[in-house]
Amino acid sequence: MNSTPNLVDTTRSEWLKFRSVRASLIGVLTFFVLTVGLAVLVSFVIKTNWNHRDPARQLVFDPVTTSLVGVFFGQFAAGVMGARFITSEYASGGIRTSLAAVPQRWRLSLSKVIVLLVVFSVLSEIATFLAFSVGQVIYKSGHLPTGSLSNSTDLRAVVFAGVYLVLLTLIGYALGLLLRTTATTISVFVAVLFIVPIIMNFLPSNWQDHVNKFLPSQMGAAMMSPDLTQQAFSWGASALLLTLYTAVLLVVGTVVLTRRDA
Amino acid sequence: MLKIDHLTKRYGDTVAVNDLDFEVRPGVVTGFLGPNGSGKSTTMRIILGLDRPTSGRATINGQTYDQLRAPLREVGALLDAKALDPKRSARNHLRALALANRIPRSRVDEVLEFVGIASVANKKVGGFSLGMSQRLGIAGALLGDPQILLFDEPVNGLDPEGIRWIRDFFRSLAKEGRTVFVSSHLMSEMAVSADEIIVIGRGKFIRSGTVDDLTADAKGTVFVRAADPHALADVLRGAGAEVEGTDDEALSVAGMSAPEIGNAAFAAGIAVHELTPQRASLEDVFMDLTADALEYGHHDAEAS
Repeated sequence: MNSTPNLVDTTRSEWLKFRSVRASLIGVLTFFVLTVGLAVLVSFVIKTNWNHRDPARQLVFDPVTTSLVGVFFGQFAAGVMGARFITSEYASGGIRTSLAAVPQRWRLSLSKVIVLLVVFSVLSEIATFLAFSVGQVIYKSGHLPTGSLSNSTDLRAVVFAGVYLVLLTLIGYALGLLLRTTATTISVFVAVLFIVPIIMNFLPSNWQDHVNKFLPSQMGAAMMSPDLTQQAFSWGASALLLTLYTAVLLVVGTVVLTRRDA
Repeated sequence: MLKIDHLTKRYGDTVAVNDLDFEVRPGVVTGFLGPNGSGKSTTMRIILGLDRPTSGRATINGQTYDQLRAPLREVGALLDAKALDPKRSARNHLRALALANRIPRSRVDEVLEFVGIASVANKKVGGFSLGMSQRLGIAGALLGDPQILLFDEPVNGLDPEGIRWIRDFFRSLAKEGRTVFVSSHLMSEMAVSADEIIVIGRGKFIRSGTVDDLTADAKGTVFVRAADPHALADVLRGAGAEVEGTDDEALSVAGMSAPEIGNAAFAAGIAVHELTPQRASLEDVFMDLTADALEYGHHDAEAS
């Protein structure tokens, strides 16, 4: 009892908190159902209707992106779990117990980030590799074009689809730090990912080309697509910029945490 | 040593804590007494580093709370027994706290056993009664075997048996040489459970001392019956006393002792029939001390 606790101890504590509530298990299952389940469903529908597809669309068929389409649904499960990792503590008042145990608030926040980063790196990569692999098996069985992990571009798309999910988990957490309530945080998260892109559709198209590429969802599309679309940043630039967004939000959120009365 | 050093906390225009300055000694149970909304909880939160003081500071053995590396091993606190994740089991709640402060895992089972909730340790705390939650909160406060313990309104919602248990428990902690700081808005509770009392109202220090100190110099009154109460009342008022008439022609006199009144009556040639000092009750003392605070308290509906 006479040694000084450090970041490892707080991180172990946060890891225990993460895995000791059933909501985490339900969240992980939802995440897999959305990311893998929906991808499988979409791949299956494409395979079934392949022969009715117009030949021009057959030609531009992208077996990689279509098998990863579940990422755009799984991102909500990931973001909600990231957000709830802090907002549930504000809801119950447990944040005060946490801060009394770890008054170095930046350390508490960093520990939460480490837990989310590690857990979701593993989960997201498993999910995207699984979605991709099952998708390719389905396509292959229907004699459709397939992607392959031995192709470095395809491999990159699958890996970065997972990276995108990890970043969005952390964005959810950072928004939770700032907004404190689960409902508000999820509303903002959904608005940024879902509603803002819809609003953008109403802008003049030459504006859209300049603005859309800054949206997280567009960056995600660039990161997990083998082909470069003209109106987006490259996958590498997208990954860097989204990482920058995430880092800025995390820093701002943590600074706010350290300044605010709990 | 727990030291409150010219502590002030403002929320906008409201002053929740106004230049509080006192020390809490080890080895005794110190009561922190004040009406609801008088700043007790705010002071407790500042001690624990949850709220940032506007000025001044609270220190634990010379350090502010956020300078403590393993705070649970120095200060144990129970502020709000229900403020924890309802979906987590009692044991996991305590284990997470133990991990963060490098407290051995075996200690978790020890404190669960000690407060008597070991049998429900694996149950979700959301299903706990208030009494069980209080016990879990106490287990959390004791986890790091700290020398300083803070309890905010610990008897609220407890049954008589629980209240007795908690009083004895505070005494035993103090006897072990620990600092025990307990807030309450109930004077009667403090009278039986605290050795020393610090009274605040509207965020301001009012006074401190033992229970006896507080009652001893409180304004006692003397009940007087005399042959001519009206004449005696004039005489006593002339001597600087506050005199109130009672229904049956008797007088209630404040500001003079019984011998002083007797002497004054003798000098004025008024026969005295009865002369009884009335000792102020603790409740009277408390009401008296915090009367100003209460009057204001009704105007601003400020939370504690």
